[in-house]
Amino acid sequence: MSTYFSMSMFDNPALRYLAYAVVALLLSVVHMVFLKYVSVQSVTPDLLLLLVVWAALMEGQYVGMIVGFGAGLLFDMLTTDVLGSNALAKTLAGFMAGYFYREGMGLATIGSYRLLLIVTFTGFLHNLVYFFFYIKPMQTSFWEFFLVNGVATTLYTTVVATFPMLLVNRRNEW
Amino acid sequence: MQRLFEFVVRYRNYITLALLVVISFSLMSVGELSRLGGFRAVVVGSIGWMQSVFAWVPNPVALQSENTALRELNLQLSIESARYRQAMVENATLRSMLELLPHTDYSMIAADVVGKTTAELRNFATINRGSVHGVEMGMPCITDAGLVGIVVGTSENYAVIRLLENRDTRIAARVHRSSVDGIVHWQGDAFLSLKDVPKNADVKAGDVVVSSRFSTRFPANIVIGTVAFVADVENSVFQRILVRPMADASTLSQVFVVRWQPDPERVALEDRVVQRPTDRGQAGGGR
Repeated sequence: MSTYFSMSMFDNPALRYLAYAVVALLLSVVHMVFLKYVSVQSVTPDLLLLLVVWAALMEGQYVGMIVGFGAGLLFDMLTTDVLGSNALAKTLAGFMAGYFYREGMGLATIGSYRLLLIVTFTGFLHNLVYFFFYIKPMQTSFWEFFLVNGVATTLYTTVVATFPMLLVNRRNEW
Repeated sequence: MQRLFEFVVRYRNYITLALLVVISFSLMSVGELSRLGGFRAVVVGSIGWMQSVFAWVPNPVALQSENTALRELNLQLSIESARYRQAMVENATLRSMLELLPHTDYSMIAADVVGKTTAELRNFATINRGSVHGVEMGMPCITDAGLVGIVVGTSENYAVIRLLENRDTRIAARVHRSSVDGIVHWQGDAFLSLKDVPKNADVKAGDVVVSSRFSTRFPANIVIGTVAFVADVENSVFQRILVRPMADASTLSQVFVVRWQPDPERVALEDRVVQRPTDRGQAGGGR
């Protein structure tokens, strides 16, 4: 991906943000229109979380948070839920993922098994925050709900994260 | 000034995090997206159009599940059909004897489900009927099996249904056999939960649960599901009752929107009463 971002047009930060916005919009639409085909008991992978982790690992904590907030807000708008709940969870996910940022080592991290560990870690945090607000109107146990649905969503997202990991891994080898 | 600038630069990430968290909480206090007005109609219309474009793509898991459900429903309906024929005759006779009014039939709008959205356990369905067809926010949606949800967003040609499997589901319900009242919630898995039913209430597995006449969101006597599990809970005055929804959300392909809206005068009165500060603790909201 550094090869993509080292292209001249992506040297401009504004264009990079625009690219992230376009990718976030595309992933949101894919999430809403196509992910029903791969849902398991209503559990789907969180593609936007992968984008946030990607941005944080490539560009650092600051950009990770901004991308997380923007992508989360966009998703809240498209999925007709409480505005701000996904924005908050993904902002925190971007912040935490940013701790794993190493300058110039983004692709190496993404192309290794470390990506899976980071996605699992940030996924847990993201879902912990998100489901805390999600479950508030329900009369059910938070931990019971989180252990079933939060863990399942995190694991599913981690499984899907193997695709970008393998893709980048192969590109790194070239 | 220089020190302040250095401070901001040094702690840029933490300041940004704090700012974004505050903005997120502020947005959450705004509440549902419906308050954003026309934007929602644009979102519903755009997503509905995209889902209808790809509606032809088959979902083998859903088809298999639908097939199984339809076979079971067919068997069940054929048994019930025979019983109903007998019951209708008896009912007509008894009603004429008691001089009761006939049942009210609701007008319905048939619609195809063009898309389903499973976004982080929020289950919605998009149908190809909208405001130009008479679909309005708050109208209940049913299938031949029973209640499936409520219309939460409309555009001209599409509407979004919030399915029963949703955290905001709260329906005033009644056990049909024993007339025991309770509140149906979704508890995050395949079952609904019938809450607030005392331990001494007469509820058994297999009982049919219907919408209650106390509901301000749904007409009375729409089938919601059947009781699947009843158990006592220690240190509680209530029973734990799980309800299996009659309509399978994963197999939805056609629905009927019921042209029914709650009596606005009643809703306004009840909202006014439950919003009084002294009564806030008893507010049920959206039943």
